[in-house]
Amino acid sequence: MSGMSMDELRLVDELQLRYIDALDRKQMPEWAALFGAEAEYVCTTAESEQAGLPLALIMDDCRGRIDDRVKFVDRVWAGTFQDYQTRHFVQRLACSRTQAGLFSVRSNVAIAFTRSDTNATGLLATGVYHDLVAVEQGRACFRSKRVVVDAAVLPHYVVYPF
Amino acid sequence: MTQNAIWPPIVWPRKTTEVPKEIFVREDIYREELRRIFMGPEWFPVAHASEVPNNGDFRTCVVGEVPLLVTRDEDGELNVFYNACSHRGAQLETKSCGNKKLFQCPYHRWGFNARGTLVGCPLKEGDSVGFSKDKYPLSRPRMDIVHGLIFVTLSDAAPSLAEFLGGYEDKLANVMGGDGRLKLIGYHKTLLNANWKTYHDNDGWHAPLLHTAFRLLNWQGGKGIQFANARGHRGFESQLSVPDGRAFLNDPTLIEYRGGSFAEKGSCSLHLFPLFAAVKHLDTIGLRFVNPRSVDQTELIFAYFGREDDDEAMTRHRIRQSSNLLGPCGMVSMEDAAVFQRLHIGSRTPGMQIFQKGVKDEYAMPTDFSQNDESVNILSWEYYREVMGFAKEAV
Repeated sequence: MSGMSMDELRLVDELQLRYIDALDRKQMPEWAALFGAEAEYVCTTAESEQAGLPLALIMDDCRGRIDDRVKFVDRVWAGTFQDYQTRHFVQRLACSRTQAGLFSVRSNVAIAFTRSDTNATGLLATGVYHDLVAVEQGRACFRSKRVVVDAAVLPHYVVYPF
Repeated sequence: MTQNAIWPPIVWPRKTTEVPKEIFVREDIYREELRRIFMGPEWFPVAHASEVPNNGDFRTCVVGEVPLLVTRDEDGELNVFYNACSHRGAQLETKSCGNKKLFQCPYHRWGFNARGTLVGCPLKEGDSVGFSKDKYPLSRPRMDIVHGLIFVTLSDAAPSLAEFLGGYEDKLANVMGGDGRLKLIGYHKTLLNANWKTYHDNDGWHAPLLHTAFRLLNWQGGKGIQFANARGHRGFESQLSVPDGRAFLNDPTLIEYRGGSFAEKGSCSLHLFPLFAAVKHLDTIGLRFVNPRSVDQTELIFAYFGREDDDEAMTRHRIRQSSNLLGPCGMVSMEDAAVFQRLHIGSRTPGMQIFQKGVKDEYAMPTDFSQNDESVNILSWEYYREVMGFAKEAV
């Protein structure tokens, strides 16, 4: 964890925990609030990355799209899908300062999900979070979160971001 | 194997508007479908030429339960092989895509080039009776290509591809923006927890009532047509009437249409029996390679494309729109998968699925369809019934 103070590392970790907590509680406005005014959220697969294919599973590459995703989940899709409960598990692997107030963070993530219709629990995805986290005045937010999912074929439709 | 492989037998209703629910969930029917349909005289799109643009590029795929290998060889020619070594039959290539000069079976080190020729082998002529490399190329199914779309059939009894398509080559070209000059931008791949026929029956046609996005965006469909033929193919073509989007979306580029001169067919699809779908919506161009995994599960591989002559800005727009509009996380398609799953679970109840909208005679084959008629699917079901050999109930 090069070039970081313990306070900065704590802020980075707390941001990650608030992120997965917001998703597991399905609080989409809280999820969006963890991104900065200029930010992006992109989710893709390892297969696409390795093949150099630019299409993403989710490409919220501007603040407007991040806010629109809140509307998709809370308004557009409301009542149209069988809901599921996620549980995110994150393990930070690396964290380093890239410039003043900006940190590059890499973490493993596993996302279990329990379908409301079958009550069966399964693995929705495993993968890696590649984050750029800005820390300013004692507050951390995501400048960028890039999720690279291990599986090429998703086992289920995706309502909530990974 | 005969109809006896299916027990108790299916007696198809006389009304053309009814489909027995049990055909979606019975394992014996699924096994017979693999034999009669997926190994039968149908043609299956397996890849577009633009997915293997460079010499040495390959892609693997499956038709029914049969693994295939698509290659572009050193002369730039496209090939489809059964994905199995010609020696003992071990699966030859395991990756979904890549670029190789040599496909080597790890079992006994038989190696094949992208033309399927056996070029490397520990055996020499004379080492065993009658052995020579030229006797053991990779086996090939029949293949043909239309507008860059590579089709195969696993049956010698299949008609020509032109006959199979029944004149719908132009419809296919329309989905691809006028011809087959495409450029791959990526894939969405997901499992659908539903029978393959649920996908075939409901993708493309279903009520806009499902998609709240259309209402929230005040998105009314443009004027259009549906078409279908006796081979079980169907589709639609419609004008685009795109709302501004700014009242609801912070980033309205998601539904921005830049297609220009092709606006009269801005939204169109072609669904080929049994499972392929080509869909153009706004500026997305998608070829949907679908394959059954089991009676209860279907694999969807949505491949998205730009056009060869797209400039950088258009390519970027297609990538951004295709990523978020359709697919397993798409704004106007996520709920498709959810409702298809409910259809599948509901198929375990007795009785029939019923077609209503657009039906003029419950006992006749429809011949014309309005834009939103679900009766367009009836011809496909009649073709399925004939292929499966299901007798109709007596008068």
